Amino acid sequence: MCDVAVVKKIANCLGVAPGKVQLNDEQVVTRTIGQNKTVQGFATILESLARESKSEAAQNSTSTKEVKAQVYQWLEFAVLYVAPGSKDKYVSKQLLADFNKLFISKSYLVGNFITLADLAVYYAIYDLMKSLSPVDKENYLNLSRWFDHLQQRPEVHQGEPLLNFTTIYLHGWATGTHI
Amino acid sequence: MIIYTNEGNPLGLKLLMLAKFAKQSVQLQVVNLNDAKHKDLLVLPTLELDNGQRLFSSVAIAKYLFDEEDQLRDEWLEWSTTLLAPALAHHMAVGHRADPNALPVLNALVKKLDDRLKSSPYLAGNKLTAADISVWSLLAPDGTLKGAQNVDSLRDWYGKVKALPEVQAALAEQPLKDLSFNALQNANRYGGLYHVPLKLPNTADTGKLLAEAASTLADTITDEEINAARAAFTYTEPKKYNEPRTVLPKAGERNVLVTSALPYVNNVPHLGNIIGCVLSSDIFARYSRCAGYNTLFISGTDEYGTATENKALAENMTPREICDKYFELHNGIYRWFGIGFDYFGRTTAQEQTDIVQEAFHDVYKAGFILKESVEQLLCQKCDRFLADRFVEGTCPHPGCGYEDARGDQCDKCGKLVNATELIRPRCKVCNTAPVLRSSDQLFIDLPKAEPQLREWVDHAENGWTNNARVITRAWLREGLKPRCITRDLKWGIPVPHKGFENKVFYVWFDAPFGYVSMTKRYTKDYQQWWQPAKGTEVELFQFMAKDNVPFHSVVWPSVLLAINKGHTLVAHIMATEYLNYEDGKFSKSRGIGVFGNDAQDTGIPADVWRFYLASARPEGQDSSFSWNDLAARNNSELLNNLGNFVNRALVFCEKNFNSTVPEIALTQDELILLALVNRELRGYINSLEKAKLRDGIRHLMSISRHGNGYMQTQQPWLLLKGNAEQKARAATIIGLCVNLACLLANLLYPYMPSTARTLFAQLNAQHTRLNADKPLATLLLRTGHKIGKPAPLFAKLEQAFIDELKGKYGGTQTQAKEENTSSATSQPTNVAELEKAVQAQGEKVRQLKASTKDKAVWQPEVAKLLDLKKQLEAAQKTTTAPFPSDNAKQNGTRSVQELEAAVQAQGNKVRQLKGSTKDKAVWQPEVNILLDLKKQLEAAKKAAK
Repeated sequence: MCDVAVVKKIANCLGVAPGKVQLNDEQVVTRTIGQNKTVQGFATILESLARESKSEAAQNSTSTKEVKAQVYQWLEFAVLYVAPGSKDKYVSKQLLADFNKLFISKSYLVGNFITLADLAVYYAIYDLMKSLSPVDKENYLNLSRWFDHLQQRPEVHQGEPLLNFTTIYLHGWATGTHI
Repeated sequence: MIIYTNEGNPLGLKLLMLAKFAKQSVQLQVVNLNDAKHKDLLVLPTLELDNGQRLFSSVAIAKYLFDEEDQLRDEWLEWSTTLLAPALAHHMAVGHRADPNALPVLNALVKKLDDRLKSSPYLAGNKLTAADISVWSLLAPDGTLKGAQNVDSLRDWYGKVKALPEVQAALAEQPLKDLSFNALQNANRYGGLYHVPLKLPNTADTGKLLAEAASTLADTITDEEINAARAAFTYTEPKKYNEPRTVLPKAGERNVLVTSALPYVNNVPHLGNIIGCVLSSDIFARYSRCAGYNTLFISGTDEYGTATENKALAENMTPREICDKYFELHNGIYRWFGIGFDYFGRTTAQEQTDIVQEAFHDVYKAGFILKESVEQLLCQKCDRFLADRFVEGTCPHPGCGYEDARGDQCDKCGKLVNATELIRPRCKVCNTAPVLRSSDQLFIDLPKAEPQLREWVDHAENGWTNNARVITRAWLREGLKPRCITRDLKWGIPVPHKGFENKVFYVWFDAPFGYVSMTKRYTKDYQQWWQPAKGTEVELFQFMAKDNVPFHSVVWPSVLLAINKGHTLVAHIMATEYLNYEDGKFSKSRGIGVFGNDAQDTGIPADVWRFYLASARPEGQDSSFSWNDLAARNNSELLNNLGNFVNRALVFCEKNFNSTVPEIALTQDELILLALVNRELRGYINSLEKAKLRDGIRHLMSISRHGNGYMQTQQPWLLLKGNAEQKARAATIIGLCVNLACLLANLLYPYMPSTARTLFAQLNAQHTRLNADKPLATLLLRTGHKIGKPAPLFAKLEQAFIDELKGKYGGTQTQAKEENTSSATSQPTNVAELEKAVQAQGEKVRQLKASTKDKAVWQPEVAKLLDLKKQLEAAQKTTTAPFPSDNAKQNGTRSVQELEAAVQAQGNKVRQLKGSTKDKAVWQPEVNILLDLKKQLEAAKKAAK
């Protein structure tokens, strides 16, 4: 999801007042701050939030030009691929596999510190992760590790119950299936 | 810097333009994501900076190259990639991905651009920015603005940008004609941008701005296609074929053996089952016969097993009687759907016993059978070993101690339970305590067959659907384990082995042999199909839902390979995904969804069901049955497209040419139409050869759409009123359209056999064989051929009717049940009578629940009970009997004591309900009442203070 709710959540993470967040006529998420200052678009809003924030994630996200560009591409990836793709069985499988591969050698999406990129992808992929069975979570171990690591942060989980990533489960007898 | 992009990707142009404006030298590399070398690339195009860092988002790249703070520019940049690009991808998509909603969305986006450019020279203000480059590069490929109206400001801006030297330099390297949004399909591994939903703007309709299609299809026809169409459109006398009474494979010919997964006998098949197996295989088998292959189509019911025994107990019949009853039900449903089995058999036939027992001997002799001892609970009173679902007892998990834990799971703590670990276990049927016995069971040694199986899978899996491959690979990856093939049951095929006289074969070793035994029922020469002689090739196509794949791809082939007697192994596993019902699951117990017999009751013809189910077939991913979709497809595809075309052609022929096919003199227009038809015809054949039934329908409908378009542009009705030359033109047009109608009847036959037969009768024509090697339209009806009497083929489905059906099968079930109760019993009306009825029904439900776990059995009775309770509620209301929730609404001021009592009573009710059923739909309303009461109590307490 890259919608109103997620913008508010991320504003919370960054310790910034989200202002008024809603969808405009084009169904694009829009943020209104103060009198009439508006920002449109998920990624552009997140960048504006980061500029106002003093939090670790925001500072990291804007440290250099290179980092900024990389963070932005993941924000766009969250909007274009992760959020809508999670609802498509075929796309979601591929997404899980791709992220799992990515996290073989990384702890965070950009650099080696938490950035907006992690937050955006985290909330965008949340429902998909939630729907996974314990076996699937085990199959996407690297992705699960990244996700579990992020969700431990209080500013990330924001009081929601944590997803379970322990993989002790029981095998029954394999039974045949009738249709 | 290096730009990695794929062939034809329009976004590659964007990066190239950005680089030109930033005065960076770049190198363009066209790559393929499937190439192992590029497996690390996620999305194309990707830009590799000189420091080796890679960026795949064009916006990120634009912002990197032009590092300045400009919020307006950033907003437009984001808008272009997240709104404009997906809309263009949807609009330019072809085939099943084409989305009719894309054009209005795109029109709105273009209007927004035009509005903006009316008041500002560039998107982000007075100077050109990356936002302009981004939007321009999206509009340029595919000629989106070609033919657009009322967008003058946008056009001016477009021309201004295009004239810039940087743009010209980029276009010199990447000519527009090579670019298309269709190339996005290969730009990532997510299939392009089609998963991004179109965002329909809230603003009112923006009207028509863009031309309907970027270029007309006719422009793309080549001379070769025209020549081929002309050469093929001749008449050949149809050959007479003698249909043999018994189809047998022949050496040197194509022999196709089609099976549909055996439906389990006591389940009433729902639409998902029907399209998943029997209907898909029937359509394919019919096609295969039309193409002239020797085709045998076999299926039947799978009848042995615990579930049948169970059902027999519940209905107080013998398993045999149960099977007879349900077999007739299946048979009737499939007959109604027009499924043309060559043989529809049963696994309880004697042939099955012979074949399974013989197969067991063979596997045993080959050394693939293991014996192991398994601990099981034995009920001495019932004299049988208890399957997990037949045992209950106290939950063994510390701290739980729930007394009614099931043999596989405890309902209270939710933990998994081993039946043998239950404290004080009891038999569900007779309530006596079972004893632990170890019993010997036979296992098939799959690990021993694994090397052979792997070798076979490696070359066989090419002909399988993707899900079948994936599931099989997953099984093989985990490594195969021995599988138990015997059970301590009575209803099954006896195990012909010393010491196993009281056991039967488990489904693993029983059901798949049904295909063989049913073929044996069909012909004594069944071995020609299943163990063909050298030189005779039999291609086995097996249709099933994906949950049946391991059966057909791992277990049964392993057994056949172990037997090693040259059995026909499956060449094509055609596995479907699941069909949902209006975005939920089909559920017999909750009365949600349309089941085989319901389809019949709706009065919608079987052929329409067949057509709809085939076009909603869950190929590749799950799909949903939807009433609205059914109506829409019937009305727009069948009625307005196909039916309209065929009927118009025939009626014109009848009225103006005395029901005789007139002289046809082909001109360029006709040849273009035929070339277009041939394209679709080739698509149809290619799809059906691979059993892609959904695509086949699409191609069929496209042919009739081309026909409609042709008739609309040629307007024969005007020509008929003209001079002799014009009348001759009209004759050609009608003659060709009647021929197309005949072609359509042939193509329609696999999907809608009885409609096709009607159409053939109206054409006074015969079935012609499809030529799969040379799929070109031929002259089927010569000049002078007399046609029959035309009549409409399809009827409209009205929305009111559809709404009614939607309500009826929507899962509330009350409507259907009400009919039941009102007809069965003379509806009790007064409170006393109702109370009695509720009590009696309650007793019945309790008894049923105690005797069986099968929800399908007791759920209808529960529904009846709930309904009675509701009636009682209503009756009590009218007699002003005190009833908590209702009373609460009437007088808001009830005393605290009263409310406390009510809360307690309601709480008890909820606990009881929750204890008796897991079905949330049943207890949730009561919980709501309880919560409401608690709220009132709180308020009353506050007020009292």
